[in-house]
Amino acid sequence: MELKILYFGMIAEATNCNEEEISLQSGSTVEQLIHKLNNKYDKLKDLSFNIAIDKEISDHSTLLNASSEIALLPPFAGG
Amino acid sequence: MKKRKTVFVEGPISPSFIANSIEKHQTKTTIGAHDIFLGQVRADEIEGKVVQAIDYTAYQEMAENKFHEIREATFDKFDLTCMHIYHSLGKVKAGEICLFVFVSAPHRKVTFQALEYLVDTIKKEVPIFGKEIFEDETHTWKVNN
Repeated sequence: MELKILYFGMIAEATNCNEEEISLQSGSTVEQLIHKLNNKYDKLKDLSFNIAIDKEISDHSTLLNASSEIALLPPFAGG
Repeated sequence: MKKRKTVFVEGPISPSFIANSIEKHQTKTTIGAHDIFLGQVRADEIEGKVVQAIDYTAYQEMAENKFHEIREATFDKFDLTCMHIYHSLGKVKAGEICLFVFVSAPHRKVTFQALEYLVDTIKKEVPIFGKEIFEDETHTWKVNN
């Protein structure tokens, strides 16, 4: 399945783009996505981030599906 | 569903915008207490370089959802008459205002409690990102404590 991934802040800087499509096997979890992204982007390993699925912070065991909107969110800095 | 209020403003929040907001409450005469929080961009010195401005970005749709949730939760928790939240996007220079939170109620105590809860929750839960820009155009990323 093709997943649309959004990047923000220092994460977008590490990936050098704001969004892209990543291909993963159906039934993959957040953890498998992170593994794939860590392999693709060396700098990502040193950064801390949360993953939001459909605009809610999710844990690593969450199952992904092709219609999910996935976002990598670095630490928040509002205010 | 209630209409969602606009939170994000482009650039700094001006003192006159804040003054206007206060003035608009003069017709609401059940209110006896206002409390206001203003977040100002600090010229922090980081590894010998001084922050000139913060460039704010957000995961805007999620941030708006979060602001809405926080707003509803605050109204449930505290007996407020009204509540206003504004946050900057884009560049805000050191010394300028980037966050304006305004709560009102008949009596003061609840405004103090509600305001602290609101500001703490906004800082913790809303996906806003801040690029701290130095004089030489290099930058670092702000992280809330």
